[in-house]
Amino acid sequence: MESSLLFNIATLAYLAAMVLYISYLAFRKNAIGQTATAITLAGFVVQTVALLLRWRESYQMDIGRVPLSNLYESLVFFTWSTVLIYLIVEFKYKTKAFGAFVMPVAFLALAFINVAGISSDITPLVPALKSNWLFYHVLISFLGYAAFGVAFAISMIYLLMNIDEKGPVANLFAGLGTIVVLAPIGYLMASQGDRMKTAFWLGLGVLVLAWFIYLIVAGARNKSQVFLFWSFCITLAIVLLVAMGIDFVYLVSMKNLAAGESYKKHMFESTFLNSSTPVTIVSWAAVLAVFSFIWSKGMGLKRLLKPYIPAQDLLDDVTYRMIAIGWPLLTAGIITGAVWANSAWGTYWSWDPKETWSLITWFVYAIYLHARYVRGWKGAQMAVISAVGFLAVIFTYLGVNLVLSGLHSYGGLN
Amino acid sequence: MENQKGIVEIFAEKIWKFFSSVKLAVVLLIILAIVSVIGTVIAQNEAPERYLREYSQATVRIFDMLGFFDMYHTWWFVLLLFLFTANLTVCTLDRFPHTWKLVTAPLKPIDDDSLKAVPFKKEMIFSAGANKAEERTAAALKARGYRYVESRGPGSAQFMTQKGIYSRFGVYITHVSILLIFVGALIGSFFGFKAFLNLPEGSASKVVYLRNEPMWDQIMAALGIAESPVIHDPQVGVPAMPLGYYVRCDNFDVDYYIGPSGMPTGMPSEYHSTLSIFDLDGQKILDKRIRVNDPLTHHGITFYQSSYGTIPDARGKVLLNVRLKSDASSAGETIAVDPGATAYVPSIDRTIKVLGFAPYGMRNPATGEIVFYHTENDEYINPTVELEVYRGHGGGKPIYKPAVMKTDPGQPNMPENYVIAYRGYVGARYTGLQVTKDPGVWVVYTGFIMLCIGPLIAFFGSHRKLWVRIQDRQGQTVVLVAGSANRNRISFEKEFNRIAEEIIK
Ligand code: HEM
Repeated sequence: MESSLLFNIATLAYLAAMVLYISYLAFRKNAIGQTATAITLAGFVVQTVALLLRWRESYQMDIGRVPLSNLYESLVFFTWSTVLIYLIVEFKYKTKAFGAFVMPVAFLALAFINVAGISSDITPLVPALKSNWLFYHVLISFLGYAAFGVAFAISMIYLLMNIDEKGPVANLFAGLGTIVVLAPIGYLMASQGDRMKTAFWLGLGVLVLAWFIYLIVAGARNKSQVFLFWSFCITLAIVLLVAMGIDFVYLVSMKNLAAGESYKKHMFESTFLNSSTPVTIVSWAAVLAVFSFIWSKGMGLKRLLKPYIPAQDLLDDVTYRMIAIGWPLLTAGIITGAVWANSAWGTYWSWDPKETWSLITWFVYAIYLHARYVRGWKGAQMAVISAVGFLAVIFTYLGVNLVLSGLHSYGGLN
Repeated sequence: MENQKGIVEIFAEKIWKFFSSVKLAVVLLIILAIVSVIGTVIAQNEAPERYLREYSQATVRIFDMLGFFDMYHTWWFVLLLFLFTANLTVCTLDRFPHTWKLVTAPLKPIDDDSLKAVPFKKEMIFSAGANKAEERTAAALKARGYRYVESRGPGSAQFMTQKGIYSRFGVYITHVSILLIFVGALIGSFFGFKAFLNLPEGSASKVVYLRNEPMWDQIMAALGIAESPVIHDPQVGVPAMPLGYYVRCDNFDVDYYIGPSGMPTGMPSEYHSTLSIFDLDGQKILDKRIRVNDPLTHHGITFYQSSYGTIPDARGKVLLNVRLKSDASSAGETIAVDPGATAYVPSIDRTIKVLGFAPYGMRNPATGEIVFYHTENDEYINPTVELEVYRGHGGGKPIYKPAVMKTDPGQPNMPENYVIAYRGYVGARYTGLQVTKDPGVWVVYTGFIMLCIGPLIAFFGSHRKLWVRIQDRQGQTVVLVAGSANRNRISFEKEFNRIAEEIIK
């Protein structure tokens, strides 16, 4: 297939662009920056052509469907929109500083597809998905997700720049300690059967939510907590991607899933949930190591980047603009989904988990938009809300399919 | 004298203030976001046995008490939504008059006092004289589409202008759209219903079975004002809603994707039913082939293709189409035959006997032999019938024994001058229809449209004001340019600087 070759070229282009943007920050040579932009642009054009080709191929196969219909295609489209929005930001704000943060998001998503061996077959659509609304719904939603992704990357920079000290080591130990205590408890409870497992996840969810709320309401004054949050977000991003990558490599090459068997049931089995205790312990130890590494090197990273990063006001402004683009798109995405559901089933809203999670995400960004009108809420809080919003986006996109169940089967990882 | 307020007044004011606060909105949004999670973690509206399998008995009792199994309809969730709506309404009513005043009031000339609150300003000495300054100002403003008003005083002139005032309404369009969506949803649950109907092929019904009864009918009936149209038949168990007409299922079928071998894969590409509507006197009004994503609406009631199933022990009729080879354009003659029975077809003077029906047959391309397969749930993946064809009214030996299947091309191997084609096997299945009436949906859709437009206006519009004051100060012409924008300040600043430059040059 021609399109898959072009997709691979685009992946390589984004990899090169990521390396170049990072070296641009390190060496500050204009030529490097310009090459990075040129390569990103070229990769983007190639990827656009690949998407169109794939669309045509589906017609040649007599299936005739928009290339936005399964997990593979949605991940590809997510990177496409992220790069598009990034390029617009770069041209509009005339700064290449964000490239080093945004391009990894795009590249990792593509790498995830390849490492993961997510099927790139063009499969026919089930009757419920055969609707023009599918196209609008997915297109609009993913453009929105991409804008939120860019907002997230910039919020992370904002938070890093906003912090002046990493705070007492006690914070790190509290963070590490929480993981050390919770992981085995979760492990033990999970082995007691589904009920205990559910109870554990519920408890953990409540804990995390409470921390987020503390951060949003009071945390901005407690900069070391915000730094902990920053380290947590970065660790989470790295660890999840790496762990899922290992999972896939392991499952695909060693175990061979039975046909039709869902990957979902085996998530993290090759790392955190491995049946061999040493592997589990090593995996968790790796998480702890990554976490403490990021926590202890954060300030150094800040000092390194400080000269190249635009003023904080600008970061705040760009984040707001990205959300001002993403939020109307998310709104329209939810609405097109509702209209579609109404034409297929006669209900525009059925509180299905995916719907509800998109609504929760929508609430979080609505909080972002209104928080500016609450006295005393400023940059750092906004950046935290924006980060929490993107965590909700990721959960809506992947987590719901992996952890919960519902109508939106197409995102399934099987 | 101090204004004495009654306790009621003070209380009302307090409530108003409470509900107009953005802080409350943020708190409510946080709470809504968090509690919504519960309903996504705990499966909603499942059978009690399933909950007991998943949770302990005590947990089930507590969850049940808190309404966690149908969380989005519990009184406390509805109360949250109600509080939120009140918040939104009061907040909007509270702020709109200010906005309206701001929008309708004419621009006031700027003075040194009000200048303090204006974020962008530039004061410069202009050497070419006041007249030239006015000329340049007018040109610079016109070039950017600013329509200005002039105001003159002794020794000074002011140009006042504003743009993008409509953007002040974006927020209101957004907020009102949310209220509309809530109102539409309420109308739907008061006057609409959700129902289902499992309709066997060939039969008709004038009622549908309710999942939830219109609230209005329930209330009216409870108050004794009007009788509910809903029929409660204890034998049926499920309340039935009369349609006011008959709906009949003429036929239901599933199409499958065709694989590379030319045979159907097991993957369905389409579910469809042909429905006909008859009035109560039996007059046919219309028919339509509905598919998933393409329902039929009649008198505000919509029928959606939602499921299907086999009727136990029911036997269907085989529908066959017979057409002369010489007359490819004609529709031919369609006959319905019970499996095992025979039918005489006058146009070809032959009698056709249907030996049997199988849901999945495949022809071996080399030998022409037919192989039959079992399918799960008796799905008709490639329905096939075996026939015998006799001369005249039958009797004697069959001339030949063809097998026809759904996927046979238009001209299967038929030795004589006609073609027998498979058209359907009707009567052994029912179509599952989702039936809804929702008179509120247009209100909701209006809200949806406003909710798409409102934020765009709010985010991408910007109310910009500009003042240019040209003053004579001790023989010198002093030009002051001042401006403000409620949004997108950075781009306004650029425009502002360019205008100031053009005037001074
Ligand atoms: C889900 C419901 C709501 C939605 C979708 C919504 C949406 C919006 C949007 C898009 C804006 C513009 C934000 C910006 O300019 O950055 C806004 C502003 C605002 N909203 Fe809401 N809002 C909601 C609920 C509420 C509620 C309950 C209140 C009650 C206090 C409220 C009060 C405000 C205020 C005071 C503003 C600022 C208005 C201004 O700029 O003059 N909103 N809202």
